[in-house]
Formats: sequence, structure tokens, C-alpha cells
Amino acid sequence: MPGVVCEHVTIEFATAAGPLRVLKGVDFQAPAGQMTMLVGPSGCGKTTLISIIAGLLRGATGSVSVFGRDVTSLSASELVPFRLANIGFIFQQYNLLAGLSAAENAAVPLVASGTPWPTALQKAGALLDKLGLAKHIDKLPRQLSGGQQQRVAIARALVHEPRLLLCDEPTAALDGKSGQAVMGLLRELAVHPDRAAIVVTHDPRVYAYADRVAHMEDGLLLKVEDGKTAALAGAH
Amino acid sequence: MIRIAFKILLHDTAKYLALVMGIAFATLLISQQSAIFHSVMESSTRDIIEANEADIWVMKPSVETVDQPDQMSELTVNRVRSTPGVEWAVPYYQAIAQLRTSSGRTKSVTLIGVDDSSLVAAPHTVLIGSLNDLRRPDAIIIDAAGFAAILPDTPLRTGDIVEIGQRRAEIVGISHTGPSWSGLPRVHTRRSLAVEYARETLNPVTYVLARSASGRSPEAVANEIATVTGLQAHSRAGFKAKSQEWVLTYSGVAENFGITILMGVIIGVAIVGQTFYMFSVENLRQFAALKAIGVSNARILGMISTQALFVSCLGYCLGIGAASLFFALFSPQLTGGLRGMFMDPAIFIGTGVFIVCVTLLSCVISVRRVLTVDPALVFRS
Repeated sequence: MPGVVCEHVTIEFATAAGPLRVLKGVDFQAPAGQMTMLVGPSGCGKTTLISIIAGLLRGATGSVSVFGRDVTSLSASELVPFRLANIGFIFQQYNLLAGLSAAENAAVPLVASGTPWPTALQKAGALLDKLGLAKHIDKLPRQLSGGQQQRVAIARALVHEPRLLLCDEPTAALDGKSGQAVMGLLRELAVHPDRAAIVVTHDPRVYAYADRVAHMEDGLLLKVEDGKTAALAGAH
Repeated sequence: MIRIAFKILLHDTAKYLALVMGIAFATLLISQQSAIFHSVMESSTRDIIEANEADIWVMKPSVETVDQPDQMSELTVNRVRSTPGVEWAVPYYQAIAQLRTSSGRTKSVTLIGVDDSSLVAAPHTVLIGSLNDLRRPDAIIIDAAGFAAILPDTPLRTGDIVEIGQRRAEIVGISHTGPSWSGLPRVHTRRSLAVEYARETLNPVTYVLARSASGRSPEAVANEIATVTGLQAHSRAGFKAKSQEWVLTYSGVAENFGITILMGVIIGVAIVGQTFYMFSVENLRQFAALKAIGVSNARILGMISTQALFVSCLGYCLGIGAASLFFALFSPQLTGGLRGMFMDPAIFIGTGVFIVCVTLLSCVISVRRVLTVDPALVFRS
């Protein structure tokens, strides 16, 4: 089932030295039911591509379809509810709200969708329980370790059962052990037949968790291989 | 989302307290100084305020303010009485006189001579003694602050004998009045006695106080009196406004208080605006995350407005409470320059409206940053 389909996606930014083309006609797919990793060196356009897929960055040419919906044709006001209903985000820096407890942070997308607080907290609590944070649901982000904060971010990204999960360097701020644990949980909870998961990373140690690994370089998609092959190649 | 707005606000305790205290301080400064200014302006028309039985004041055309009267013939009273629309009219005399105590201490006082028969314009609050005692020979009533000034270290009492204009006067009552513009003790007596104390020979009056007939507006009757008599006549409110305008023009009080109030406004705007702006900007990343997740600009606007309204209301309540406490402590005092000062309800409301407007304005400026923040910011480390 096609989850995300990008065709000939190109974008350029104005710079002092003239226009800078960051994506140069990228064709990319992230099927539902799979975890697709987007890998490559810094500055190759990975984050730009997922920003376009999320509708956070506009002005790209080509087409970007998310479960059959062309996001490049949506207006700014249409994109907001589209993101809320269909996309879950996991950021490198977690971006949890400092004044909210773990459960409250995880419940934010539900509350923003109009779910009453008690119901949202109950659902968020259950998900945090699955993520091994049952004892920490009332703690503030500053009372949690980096790995625990990222698990709260995973709960926040999945609590409203989005069809697309976008993860930007989810293990970059974590040590190796915590990173592996987070990827294991992501793999276990995020991969679902009705959901596409895209993980941006440049950490070869986590390639093994992917179904597909798409290699980018200099604004172009170079190759796509399965996760195990990529992990083996990365290990060497 | 309102709950999230409160959590974000209350989480950063130091900034939250700085915001609330900044607003409270600005409220205190603005409301207190405005109220003192208003009270000072009221004190400049103390005679008009206290002679509230009359709604028309008649005077010589040369008079510019109530504290600088000019003398008229006693016959003027009858000319005013005979004007259509006048229910009654009484003479009123005001002058500065020298008072000497038995110990030889002298003090300038404001001498107020009220109508001998009706006692119109006599003090309303007599703390010790009785207003009727003013009908006794040589009787005067002095205000409590004035008594303390002429007989320091003496408890408030009646029976003391003093001299005014080298003539015997007996203190038969102690009144309570607000401070006057001149700050001089206020001595009330009958007009017939007052002119003797002032050593007048022609039995003059300085004002004629009148009451408009039922159903007639004081302004219309005052205009008629002016036309008939060729004198200057104003409604009570009109003369009060004219006197205050003179004070504002010639005293410099408006500039002095204006600068203080303006400082309050500037400090208020600076503290509230800057702190709230910084608060919002420092939470920019959190708002960007909310925008990325799919929270609309309208809801974020609602969150920030809620934060602004909450802190402004809380800060306002603290500030206005402190200002009210200030006046509650000092206003009831019988002596001292702050006695009788009060906060007009318009100042309560005006300060509140101003504080909320300033906070919402800084909220609007902050919101511009928040609403235009690129949600893709959250993808940057």
C-alpha cells in the first residue's frame, strides 16, 4: 500500500550567493506497514524532504502524496488539521513542553483534536505504560533522562494513531544503549499495516531496525536497499 | 489547550512572578499617583465640594479660582435672590486671617463666613461640639488638622480661646475636612463675625451661594443670574471645573504628577511588554512544536491571550489592592497631608483597562513572533 510517494521533488532557497537547490528531483517512497530510513551525510536534504512531506516547508515543485492526498496542493489552513490528524512527529531534541508532565505531553495531540483531558490522559498513560514509563507519567521532562524523554516523544507521536510517523534523528541525542532501546520500541509500536514510518538518521547502528533504507546525497536519492543489507554495509 | 497555556505560564516560576510583580508595580504606581493627583485637584476646590447645599456660585467677573475671591456688596445677595429660577441665595465670605493662641503662637487661617441664619456651607462633619454652637457669641469651628497645627500636643477639644484679627474667638467645635489647596487651617464662623475678624468695614461678601428652583438646571439659572446682575455665575460643577483648570494652568501640578504617572505608564509598558515578550520568545520552540503537531494559529493565539489576561488580572488585583490599602491606611487620618485622599472608581477602572491593554498589546507583539515562527524550526537541533 503506498504510504508516501514523492515524485521529482525539487526545492531551492535564496541565499546571498544566489539560489541554492537543496533537493534536485527526488523520487522517494515510504510504503505503509514498513519503516523506511532516510540516510545520508549532513546537508544532503533529508530533513528538508521530511519537512516537505509534513507540509511544514512549502514552495517545492513535483508532487508529494501522503496516503493519496497531495500535500503540495493543500492550503496552509488545510495543512494544520491534516498534520494533526495524520502525522506524528519525533524530533531530535524531543521538544516536550517543559511545564507538562510526561502523560500530559503525550496527550497533547489528542487534546488538540478535541479529546477531553481525562480520556486523553488515560490513553497517553496506557501508551507510556507500553513504553516502560508507567512510574514516570507524572514527572516533568527535566526529571527524565534523554532516553525517557524520547520515549515520551514516541508516545506523543503515536497517541492519536497517525497514518504517517516522521522521526528526525531520534537517537542522535542519546547514548548507544538508549538509542537502541528507543529504536526497538519504535519498531515495535510504530510499524503498523496502516502506517508509514520514515526515520531520518545518519547512525548506521540503527539501520537494522528498518525495512528499507534510502540513501541520499547532495539533494538526490542514490539508492534504496533493505535494512539488513544496509546494516551489514554500514557495519563494514 | 487553556490548561496547557497555564502550565507553560506557571512552570517558569521566576518569569511568571516577574510578570505579575511588574504588572502589580505598574498598577500601584499608576493608580496611586493618579488618585493622589485627583485628590489634590479635589483639594483645590475644597470650599466648593463642602458647600454642597448650593448648586450655583456667583462672584465678581474678575474671579478666576475659588481660592482668590474678590469682594462684592452685600446687596448682591438680594439681586441674586430676585433672579427668576433662584430658590434661595445666601452670602458667603472667605478670607485669610491671622489667628493667635493664648500662648502667642500665630498662624494664618482660611476664614470662612457662612450665612448667619441658615448656616449653609458650614462643615458637615463635626467631630467634637455641635454645629448649632456656631450661633454662640465669638464661636468658631476649626478643622482637626488645623487644631493640631495651632495647638500642637493638645488633644482635640473645644473651649480654647484664641484671637483672630485681634478679636476674641472661642473654639466651639472641631470639624473633619479633607486637605485644602493652601494647606491652611480652615476656620468656620458666621459671616457677620467673619467680616469682623477680617476687620472689614463694608460688610462684604465674596460669593453668593444659590440654589436653583426645582426643575431648572443650575447652568441655565447661572446664565440668567449673570445676565441680570452682570456678575459671573457658574453651576457648582462649572465653577469647580474652572477653578481646577486655573490650578492646572498656573500651578505646575499637572506637569509634576503627569511626569510621575507617565513614568508609571512607561515602566508599566516596559516591564510588562518586555517580560511578556521575552517569555513568549523563550517559549518559541515549544510553540513551534505545537504548530508542527497541528495546533492552529488561532488556538495558539487563544493560549497566549489567556496567559496575558491571567497575569494582567492577577497583577492588577495585587497592585490595586496595595494602592487601596495605602489609601485605607492614610485617608481616614484626621491630620497629615494624605487625609481625605481617595481613589475614584474611574481610576480603578481606567488603570485596569490600561493594564489589560498594555499586556494585550505586548501579547500581540509576541504573538506576531509566535505565529510567524517556522514550525520546521523543531527539526533543527
